[in-house]
Amino acid sequence: MPVSTSSIDIKKSLIDSVMAGLIALIVFGPIVGVVLQGYDFNLQFDRVGWMVLVVMVGRFALSLFLQTSRGAVVLQSFESPAGGVGVLPPDYKSRLRWILPVLVLLAVAFPFFANKYLLTVVILGLIYVLLGLGLNIVVGLAGLLDLGFVGFYAIGAYGLAMGYEYLGLGFWSMLPLSAILAAFAGMLLGFPVLRMHGDYLAIVTLGFGEIIRLILNNWLAVTGGPNGMSAPAPTFFGLEFARRAKDGGTPFHEFFGISYDPNLKFLFTYAVLFLVVLLVLYIKHRLTRMPVGRAWEALREDEIACRAMGLNHVLVKLSAFMLGASTAGIAGVFFATYQGFVNPASFTFFESALILAIVVLGGMGSTIGVVIAAFVLTVAPELLRSFADYRVLLFGILMVVMMIWKPRGLIRINRIGIAPRKGVAP
Amino acid sequence: MDGIFLQQMINGLTLGSVYGLIAIGYTMVYGIIGMINFAHGEVYMVSAYLAAIAIAVLGFFGVHSFPLVILGTLIFTIVVTGVYGFAIERIAYKPLRNSTRLAPLISAIGMSLILQNYVQLSQGARQQGIPTMLEGSLRLHVGEGFVMITYTKLFIIAAAIAGMLALTFIIQRTRLGRMCRATQQDRKMAQILGINTDRVISYVFVIGASMGALAGVLITLNYGTFDFYAGFIIGIKAFTAAVLGGIGSLPGAMLGGLILGVAEAQFSGMVNTDYKDVFSFSLLVLILIFRPQGLLGRPQVTKV
Amino acid sequence: MPHKSFNKGVLAFAVASAMSLSSFAYADVVIGVAGPMTGGNAAFGEQLWRGAEQAVADINAAGGINGEKIKLVKADDACEPKQAVAVANRLVDSDKAVAVVGHFCSSSTMPASEVYDEAGIISITPASTNPQVTERGLTGEFRMCGRDDQQGVVAGDYIVDTLKAKKVAVIHDKDTYGQGLADATKMELNKRGVKEVLYEGLTRGEKDFNALVTKIRSTGAEVVYFGGLHAEAGPLVRQMREQGVTAKFVSGDGIVTDEFVGTAGGAQYAKGVLMTFGADPRQIPDGKAVIEKFRANGYEPEGYTLYSYASIQTIAAAFAGAKSTEGAKASAWLKANPVSTVMGKKEFDAKGDLKVSDYVMYEWDDAGKYKQL
Repeated sequence: MPVSTSSIDIKKSLIDSVMAGLIALIVFGPIVGVVLQGYDFNLQFDRVGWMVLVVMVGRFALSLFLQTSRGAVVLQSFESPAGGVGVLPPDYKSRLRWILPVLVLLAVAFPFFANKYLLTVVILGLIYVLLGLGLNIVVGLAGLLDLGFVGFYAIGAYGLAMGYEYLGLGFWSMLPLSAILAAFAGMLLGFPVLRMHGDYLAIVTLGFGEIIRLILNNWLAVTGGPNGMSAPAPTFFGLEFARRAKDGGTPFHEFFGISYDPNLKFLFTYAVLFLVVLLVLYIKHRLTRMPVGRAWEALREDEIACRAMGLNHVLVKLSAFMLGASTAGIAGVFFATYQGFVNPASFTFFESALILAIVVLGGMGSTIGVVIAAFVLTVAPELLRSFADYRVLLFGILMVVMMIWKPRGLIRINRIGIAPRKGVAP
Repeated sequence: MDGIFLQQMINGLTLGSVYGLIAIGYTMVYGIIGMINFAHGEVYMVSAYLAAIAIAVLGFFGVHSFPLVILGTLIFTIVVTGVYGFAIERIAYKPLRNSTRLAPLISAIGMSLILQNYVQLSQGARQQGIPTMLEGSLRLHVGEGFVMITYTKLFIIAAAIAGMLALTFIIQRTRLGRMCRATQQDRKMAQILGINTDRVISYVFVIGASMGALAGVLITLNYGTFDFYAGFIIGIKAFTAAVLGGIGSLPGAMLGGLILGVAEAQFSGMVNTDYKDVFSFSLLVLILIFRPQGLLGRPQVTKV
Repeated sequence: MPHKSFNKGVLAFAVASAMSLSSFAYADVVIGVAGPMTGGNAAFGEQLWRGAEQAVADINAAGGINGEKIKLVKADDACEPKQAVAVANRLVDSDKAVAVVGHFCSSSTMPASEVYDEAGIISITPASTNPQVTERGLTGEFRMCGRDDQQGVVAGDYIVDTLKAKKVAVIHDKDTYGQGLADATKMELNKRGVKEVLYEGLTRGEKDFNALVTKIRSTGAEVVYFGGLHAEAGPLVRQMREQGVTAKFVSGDGIVTDEFVGTAGGAQYAKGVLMTFGADPRQIPDGKAVIEKFRANGYEPEGYTLYSYASIQTIAAAFAGAKSTEGAKASAWLKANPVSTVMGKKEFDAKGDLKVSDYVMYEWDDAGKYKQL
């Protein structure tokens, strides 16, 4: 009997499916089927059977789908290396004009709905927005792959804790100081690595991040080692948010004559953090349109050409490192005050990888994308909590699938084109 | 001088040869498609589980003689881990072949999370181990003191050298090796000359995973214990070794591994264990400042 | 529009706060079990969960607390402080937990307990032995295990009195628990006039400690004290023996699991290793029936399993005794009354620590089991 739909080849799909099943059997068979018990083992082959079945059915469906006309489009999109920056027509008006104010309104209204758990998750999300924005300058705009970004984050967080412990400085004085401190560390790192390219830079920065963590962990006398240090909460013009103020001061709620609410501290942190994020967003927005921002992107695209044009690559790279680092320093201060406690366990390599994932997933160089990706990657693990043991596994799958689905990130950088004025020779 | 220095040297060399074997996986993949395969440490971890499973199953069937068990374990582990390498490449990296440089990196980080948790969920979170297979050690008197080398360590160094030699043979002398080298030099040109580069890349992943599997068997023999988290630290160290030796260079990976291993051991012995990682990373930074392409790497020629 | 949502928000806020005050509005007593359910310490998280699960099954079968059933909520912190704060807030706000068993790692317990204390609920850690956990003046924080400073004293005295060692190497794993324990032991040793010949940290997650072992050998230490967990203690002791170091190996309660033998490469290496641990809960007669129940389900209640079981029992007793699930009342009741648990009768002091610490020495034998000395 002739097959009427000539475009779909069932036999090919079946072969694909059997091949995938065979590989799945080899891959899952030993690890899933033979469970080690001390030096002994027991067999659980039924689990393998199910997994192989799922893989076979999945592969079959995928194979069928890729043979349809829609599937061909999807396949095509993997082949074409559509790179670079999209250019929009000159009179293009972004839909963001409407979305942004709505988002800001939502953010302002949010604390009134949220309970403390939601509030803390969102605070964490905003901290990662800051981190993502900072790394976005270094990786997304300047094109310097930095795998040790967490080092600057740690400097900011420990800056607050140590400034409080040894100098008696509070949140507000350490906020700018930590940023400066982190920027200085960024400069220190920046100088020796200027000569390096791509992946060598990656490993050196990774080493730098690890060195900072190890020193924090080992230098017991100053940093408290693995026990960590406590960090102060923010104050409202000197008024504390605690139930009872330290050193005989008046706590916030007594001063204003309202009843004590433990959420107040987080509400305040949220408000300040939100303003800081807006400020950083604005600064970043302006920077990308200023000469230094253009220089970063030019350097990313072609360093040699830039230097031939007379661009001071040392200054440009250092400024990217320092600005990125100082943003991370600010994020660190917020992290320390949010958690009330810092220890080196919060600043592992995995954290750097997560921040990098935010930047790449958001679409390198895209500000809005970074904001969205930061929320996706920090909120997702929390949302996945209901999957209990499968949480981190699903998070990993999410990362891979998102990368395959949108390899250039959620939002591509688009730039509005410039139309030549009439009567002017091009 | 009472043998302490010599003992530390031996400690460093065993550790270093293991780093080197894993570093080969990083360096080969980097050489051919220019990406850091962060999931490679996890591939090693999977192979450690496979090795323990093979030993347990062989023991169940009454195979106890050391050469037979080792042979069976090596073949089983290398083959299955090779398939892992193949599958990982197919799922996580192939769709991203034409994408930005960083996209596969993130997908690799996701993949390593997946592998860790998949192994934890199917095998449980407990520490796993294998019984000591090769007992006894060599005791050499040096001056006042003595040096002790377990037979397992001797076996590791020998097996690592054998593995390196086999790999060098494959790369230098076989048709497959020639295809790999051609693809590494210029992928587009290789494609034009009729080499199926996609397949070559798959082979490279399989070979890299197999070397990781060899390391997995050896490490498991030596330390006797591992868990689903074991790939992380050793992965970072091996990656460091690959860069130190010059990423993309096979002898460089081995040399980088040995240098890193010896540096760690001697520094812990002479100064302080707490700061040994600080020392090895600082060493890396120093070497890269003066030789940005790594020890044996080809200097980067920038085309304008 | 903003005006309207504001009103709604205030309303929602008021309702939420009213609801959080009246925890009796819920039929079940919700108790959180927080610990490393994923990540490198997931083995201990499983112990906590198993113990709590069994305890709840038993208590519910006997009628629950004040006639209400207990419902458990699993909370994963992966031993990361950041996640610990998040799950703590989640337990308090979303799950409306009225008590928490956890966390495991001291570095997670500390930030999380601040959240619980602020929410006015009690939390009992079955495993965090760092002294700082109960030294911060929190009302609702209890601990079911001993403290590192108590453990260190027992270990230090034993090294000086029984082993009569003059040269002691102190090794730790640079983590809150391990280093705290090593420091406590070191302090006791120094007090007793023994100066350590080596004090160094190894990195958790690594398996090669040969360099460190060679260094230990060069100092000629008679005793090696290790503060840390079994994942590192096993390879360390094995590599010592492989390099011909015969020094006694002494450690703390971080290696109390049968997996230690596996990580050490077999009983021939684990043999003779000493450790401090609370009098084995599996030996206490009160727990016999419970232990049988675990074993009937094919699970050996090792390590912290029974500590977790006892923590749930303590919470149940406190709520029943105080006739309320309010943290302050339950806490006050616990500090005044003894509780009988699967691990025997327990009394808490004003800080929330156990009044009697029952650390004793254990030794691993050549069959891969540990016995009280």
